[in-house]
Amino acid sequence: MRKIAIAWAILVIGLAVEKPHADEIPNLKDQKVISAGHDLFLGKQCAHCHGEDGNGGVNLARRDLDPKGVFIAIADGREKNGLRMPAWREVLTDEEIWQATAYVLSISHSNR
Amino acid sequence: MHKALLPMSIGLACLLSTVTIAQAADPGSEDPNNWPQYNRTANAWRYSPLDQINKDNVSKLSVAWIAHGGDITMGIQETPIVIDGVIYSITSGDRVAALDGKTGQQLWSFEPKLDPLVKKVLFAPYSRGVAVGHGMVFIGTVDGRGIALDQKTGKEKWQVQLTDFANCHGCNFTSPPVVAGDMLTFGSTAGELAAQGKIFGVEAATGKKIWEFNTIKQDEKSWPGESGRYGGGGAWMPGTYDAETNTVFYGTGNPGKDFINSDREGDNLYTDSVVALDPKTGNLKWYRQEIKQDVWDYDSPYEILLFKKDGKDLIVHMNKSGYVFVLDKNTGNIENIWPVSDVKNFVKDIDKKTGELIGRLELPINKETLVCPSTFGGRSWNSGAYNPKTGLWYNNVLDFCGYLKPVVQKDDPKDYGTGHTGSNDFGRLVMAPDGRKPGRLDAHDPTTGQRKWTHEMEVPGFACVLTTGGGLVFNGDPTGKLQAFDADSGKVLWSFNTGSGMRGGIVSYAVDGEQYILVPSGWGSYAALLLPPLFPQLEKVPAASTLIAFKVSK
Repeated sequence: MRKIAIAWAILVIGLAVEKPHADEIPNLKDQKVISAGHDLFLGKQCAHCHGEDGNGGVNLARRDLDPKGVFIAIADGREKNGLRMPAWREVLTDEEIWQATAYVLSISHSNR
Repeated sequence: MHKALLPMSIGLACLLSTVTIAQAADPGSEDPNNWPQYNRTANAWRYSPLDQINKDNVSKLSVAWIAHGGDITMGIQETPIVIDGVIYSITSGDRVAALDGKTGQQLWSFEPKLDPLVKKVLFAPYSRGVAVGHGMVFIGTVDGRGIALDQKTGKEKWQVQLTDFANCHGCNFTSPPVVAGDMLTFGSTAGELAAQGKIFGVEAATGKKIWEFNTIKQDEKSWPGESGRYGGGGAWMPGTYDAETNTVFYGTGNPGKDFINSDREGDNLYTDSVVALDPKTGNLKWYRQEIKQDVWDYDSPYEILLFKKDGKDLIVHMNKSGYVFVLDKNTGNIENIWPVSDVKNFVKDIDKKTGELIGRLELPINKETLVCPSTFGGRSWNSGAYNPKTGLWYNNVLDFCGYLKPVVQKDDPKDYGTGHTGSNDFGRLVMAPDGRKPGRLDAHDPTTGQRKWTHEMEVPGFACVLTTGGGLVFNGDPTGKLQAFDADSGKVLWSFNTGSGMRGGIVSYAVDGEQYILVPSGWGSYAALLLPPLFPQLEKVPAASTLIAFKVSK
């Protein structure tokens, strides 16, 4: 029973890693990727809640963020602490979501 | 029950029954013990005649019971309905429940399976209430359906898809329908959506759609070229049904793109208007546009109050701009216009006879412009309350501003999460230039605008106000502070911390001779997302979805 549970857990974790297309992660420090992400961040009104510099109502600048977590939050949306962010999968391509991720990381606490 | 209390209770029951005013037809008997529709009565006063809880004993108010509403996403924004001791409640995800008014115990619940697209759209998954009538509980869903449930069991009776949810930028329902005789009317979201917002007429008994009214007028003069295609509008708060004239009144949403008017140089009818519709046919009886060619996001969907004064039938209606329009109920003609606040620069004034905007503030592209009031308005959508004993209308006034910066934006109705606003954000909020407090609870004469008292607040109120026959006004703030005021003077008589902020509607009801104050507590909504930069104290307010019932302890 325990072995089945472990195998199941590995499968679930594997799927979770697969979901954001981890193998195709671009260089998130590349200024061109960050710049494209900045344009998306503004164009898709992420600044509405996060502020252009990350100091909006849902503050990103004070948080330590990891790339996959940010990707999944953008792709599938996020509901936490009563707040809600819409999901962007299929509205944005995976490449665009990675670009937005790169910009978010560049303004987050993790970048300092 | 203690024997000594019995005569007192019988006396109280008689007293309660003596204040019964004219019984109205289904849906909402006007029994003082009930809160049968969104704004309690067809005149939308949010006044409960109950007076067991009053100025003398409100200090003894204490918690009777607490019920949890489930999912806390976007908080609890509803005004609960209470009929014959049963509470009908809706919380996040359009979860409906019936609760025992004495204990808070759940009698039944219903949770619809929502379209997965709901995860992507702007306005979800909250609802501001249900409607009850014809032995059914009606909801409008966040995926654009109308659903009817059996009032006693919660079992589904019918459902109907009303909006073209996937093809209207996610336009949906975040408010209850209005029961208008044998018909239901549903107002859809739009405004910030690349869509044409509509009001739908549906047979209450069957769910059959009979008509739809497009809040975007098909008129080249009003909407030049293609500008009306995604004109917005909609009617995202409940209307008022007036049985006397068989009319349903709705306030409509703003035109899109919100902050850019260069391609829509007409009136942009019927956005930012009051529309009077025949509920049987959807035919327009009259309209009154309050803000022509809006660029400041000053929607008009707020409550429509009905009054009789000096032989005239009047409507009192606040627009998000903070201006109050007093109109002839039968024609829409202007009787008076007054502002709730002088923190305004979007116009120098509005002509009190013609309604013309005098000295408009235009918004240049790619440049920040300070606009007062902010996009949250001179008041948010949460209704005020009118007390016939004091003659005063109580409202949460917002006294802060915002910088708006219009930018070029492509139309894309499949980009569900991006507002069709012509901007990168919804404005950078700032305090009023004169440094005054950012909010207050005001008591005004509803037709003249004369202010009787005011209560300043460090954090403005975003919940619907309640006033009662006990001479009280109840108001809640985003930090969880619930207060009872003397309706005559504004003196604070009682205060309680509910543990989370308030965004819904406080109501009152009575069951078995005991009066309750019922408070939805659970901070959420776009206000929770956007306000913290201006009000840092809100960052730490915990989310919740709770109904708290209070009564006077014995």
